[in-house]
Amino acid sequence: MPSPLIAEKYGSFFSVAREHQVIFYYVGYFSQHIVAAMADAVNLQLEVAGVPGPTRRKLFSSFIEMAQNIIHYSADTLAPPSPAGGELRHGSVCIRQEADGRFLLLCANPIEPRMAVELRLKLEKLRSMTLDEIRQAYRRTLREDAAPEGSKGAGMGFLTVARDAREPLEFDFDTARSAGESPVFYLKAAI
Amino acid sequence: MDNLYIAPTPSSPEVDFKFDVHTLSLRGESYPENAAAFYGPIIAQLKEYLAQQSGRRIVVNIALAYFNSSSTKMLFNSIEALNGAAEAGNQVQLNWYHDEEDDTILEFGQELSDDFPAIEFTNHAVRSA
Repeated sequence: MPSPLIAEKYGSFFSVAREHQVIFYYVGYFSQHIVAAMADAVNLQLEVAGVPGPTRRKLFSSFIEMAQNIIHYSADTLAPPSPAGGELRHGSVCIRQEADGRFLLLCANPIEPRMAVELRLKLEKLRSMTLDEIRQAYRRTLREDAAPEGSKGAGMGFLTVARDAREPLEFDFDTARSAGESPVFYLKAAI
Repeated sequence: MDNLYIAPTPSSPEVDFKFDVHTLSLRGESYPENAAAFYGPIIAQLKEYLAQQSGRRIVVNIALAYFNSSSTKMLFNSIEALNGAAEAGNQVQLNWYHDEEDDTILEFGQELSDDFPAIEFTNHAVRSA
């Protein structure tokens, strides 16, 4: 016998996703393997949807940068961080398509409170830069001798996304969480 | 020194440095979890090899479909090392392969070519499968 309540109860979740033109959504733990598998899924999705090559490439690139930021920096880990990698951290990522055809890439993850200050400074600076300034900063950072302290990459992740985005990156923090819970960092890129 | 071979994974490239015949190749995708940890030892061996060469013709093939931000930095450091070897009297030929529709990789190759003039760059546009 069918359970009529299922569509009623859960249909709204799926239809909201459809309304928001969500083409990819993941919430859970991020590891290298998981990100690689998601990258495959996203790529296939975009190809099948007929998204032009250059846009697909930008989306893929931004997706990887955001997802790997979650792997490296989310405050919600399954195991103590180790320098050799193999980390498993929690966060979420979502790709939506707007009515005008552009794509929105959103990600969210808990972060250490002290990181919030750093991130805010970095991203506010980025927002104040023109595309040209972003490109120059990218080239300059590429040629610098060492990666920023605490960075497992070259410190160029945000610059890479900003360079491909149609507008300045948007970000926010949700610090109004219960005591003992880490603030949540949100990042939004329009591709 | 022994040749260096690292098999590709979905997120890291095949590294095929045939030091004995002076042909060094990098192929595939590059977005390892920790680019510094992946490329560090590779660049160290590359530098060790280059330090031993003089008046040598070295062929380098780079065919990467994608590289993330931290890999870009490592790549840059590698080409810089190769440029050093070229300036020291070796002949370094770099074959830069990219998908014919991929402007990002094409442009990065051109930037490398501009930044490191001692290296002989040849661009190869590859038709997508």
